[in-house]
Amino acid sequence: MSLTEDRIQLLAQACSLDEVRKWTGNISSGDLRAWLESELGSATILDEFHPHGPLLSKAIAPETILHIVSGNTAHAAFQSLIRGLLIGSHNLVKVPSAGLPELTDAIPLFPDALRQMIEIHTSLSDEHWSDANAVVAIGSDASIEAIQARIEPHQTFIPHSHKLSIGLVHDDFETAAALAARDVSLYNQRGCLSLHAIYVSGDSNSFAGMLATEMEAYAHNDPPATLTNSEAGAIRNLREAVRFQAANDPGLKLWESEESLDWTVIHDPSPELKLSCLNRCVYVKALPDTFDVRTLGAESKHLSTIALHPFDQAKALAVEHLPAHRICPMGQSQEPSLYWHHDGFAPLASLVKWKDIG
Amino acid sequence: MHGSPVCDTDFNSLAVQVFAHQYEHNIPYQNYCISLDIHPDKLARWQDIPALPTDAFKLPSHPLTTFPLKETRKTFLTSGTTTESRGMHHFASTGLYDQSILSAWHELRLPCFEHAISLIPHPDHAPDSSLSHMMGVLSGHFATSSSWITDESGTLDPGDIARAASAGRPIALFGTALSFLHLFRSLEKPIALPEGSWAMETGGYKGTRHELSKKELYELFEHHLSLKPESLINEYSMTELSSQFYTRGLNSPHNGPSWTRIRIIDPITNTDAEPGKAGHLVIYDLANIDSVMAVRTQDLALLADSNLDHGPHPFKLLGRDPSALPRGCSRSSDEFLTP
Repeated sequence: MSLTEDRIQLLAQACSLDEVRKWTGNISSGDLRAWLESELGSATILDEFHPHGPLLSKAIAPETILHIVSGNTAHAAFQSLIRGLLIGSHNLVKVPSAGLPELTDAIPLFPDALRQMIEIHTSLSDEHWSDANAVVAIGSDASIEAIQARIEPHQTFIPHSHKLSIGLVHDDFETAAALAARDVSLYNQRGCLSLHAIYVSGDSNSFAGMLATEMEAYAHNDPPATLTNSEAGAIRNLREAVRFQAANDPGLKLWESEESLDWTVIHDPSPELKLSCLNRCVYVKALPDTFDVRTLGAESKHLSTIALHPFDQAKALAVEHLPAHRICPMGQSQEPSLYWHHDGFAPLASLVKWKDIG
Repeated sequence: MHGSPVCDTDFNSLAVQVFAHQYEHNIPYQNYCISLDIHPDKLARWQDIPALPTDAFKLPSHPLTTFPLKETRKTFLTSGTTTESRGMHHFASTGLYDQSILSAWHELRLPCFEHAISLIPHPDHAPDSSLSHMMGVLSGHFATSSSWITDESGTLDPGDIARAASAGRPIALFGTALSFLHLFRSLEKPIALPEGSWAMETGGYKGTRHELSKKELYELFEHHLSLKPESLINEYSMTELSSQFYTRGLNSPHNGPSWTRIRIIDPITNTDAEPGKAGHLVIYDLANIDSVMAVRTQDLALLADSNLDHGPHPFKLLGRDPSALPRGCSRSSDEFLTP
């Protein structure tokens, strides 16, 4: 498909489908056009040369992008694919062997011209690897390392490795608890933008109790996904380990859904950031006097998003020193803007190369 | 542990007594039981004794001992990296621990041996390793000659195996599955071990990128050492326990000594898994008298078919639960790590 505007119209059509919109949010043709203008300088820069200082320059999309996506949530897969389609690349999508039905069931609903730009695979041949001009990979650190070992010097590589997110509450506990419950519970905490811990300025124990109430309410309205044995075992193990600690350390407290594994809230006096076992298990911690990488520990280098409540620019700037690439209002951690720099990458600009005349 | 195996009635009675002892003297465990509203006076069945997860052994501030910590004479540590917390199992004496190792070996009719070669480091080189300690106890009891072919730095010298093979005397080889993989890679050519030789392998590939099915591993044993599956024993245990479970060959279940019992817990319902359904393995080990006798593992298992209606039930070990290590997002593309 030669013209960007054609792809914009078709993508807007695809994104209006319920099966797609629930993962991408509302994306109009105007949004796509503005996004291109913002990242690449013009919505027609992929079609024609534009003045660039003394030069004329045109953005060149990779002919083929290989997207290696994880099965945790379909968000990142949709986002990556939309980027590739918008810039006009052919898209090889490697889904986990167990499948990613949220994505693969939606693609047949796309307009024909877009569908022809997509190939879904559960395994990759040497030809797939060599065909790719760019590789976007979403996976654990070990997976990314294994994928990186296959990247050739001429290939653009955009890695999205292990990430987690946290919340930070300064005030207005009641509203914050409801917003935090949403950020923790949505998509069963399986995405990089899910909150694993919430740091609280003030009475963190009290906030943990309020969060537990909101987690129960959220689970009532949006029950969690069915758990595998393995996921259930991880929650049981976490709960018993915390119960043991709580029985011996009055600073630690456990709230849990009754007769179910729907949700778990742990008040933990340690400021160290720990990974949750996922599936709506979250730590609440007192905000330490020094809120930095040293206090939060090794896991903080994997921070993706910090969700704040109340949100304002001053409070956002106060945590700018942390390695997270995104600081957003609490309640919106799972819904990044189309414009966000995914793990610090400008998602369209990172994919294209440039051709100059002059 | 001497004499007759522990029958079900005796096991229950002993387990309830051990629980009462641990409740009284192991204060962190007592606090946990109180939080569950469980008291020895109200407990009649071993199945109702609260099991602690292995993570509880990782907390130095709450040591799980029935004796004052200052009386500790030996501490075994779980394996782990420098950034991971390591589980600790303290002992005021290893007398009962050693007796458990040897009595289980006899009770489960495991083979005697004279010439042992260990790929497991010598206990002097790994004093906090329960596996090295176990190997020391076994070789000290059975072997007239023992060779430890892994040095302090972890380097493995396979020369002794070739020399023992050429001498024509049966040998018993001991190692972790990972150490055997290293051995196979280091051998320039296969060694045909003399008739009557056998090997005991243990552990998985935790913390490494190696992943091999048991069948594949046993094929390597046959290729490199001419050991058939029936000459291969798998040992399953944990630093947090004082007893071991064994199986021989490819398809047999694991069996434990008569002073142990197991349950398979369905993690969804937190009750006994239905027959044939996988769940998490909970082990009750009377030899764990000075810590906690009931330990909840993160290993998946299912009850094996058995004609036994008494004694420890055999189980089929399925392996480490993949969720045992918490991770963030992006888990499912890990298949790239498999060859």
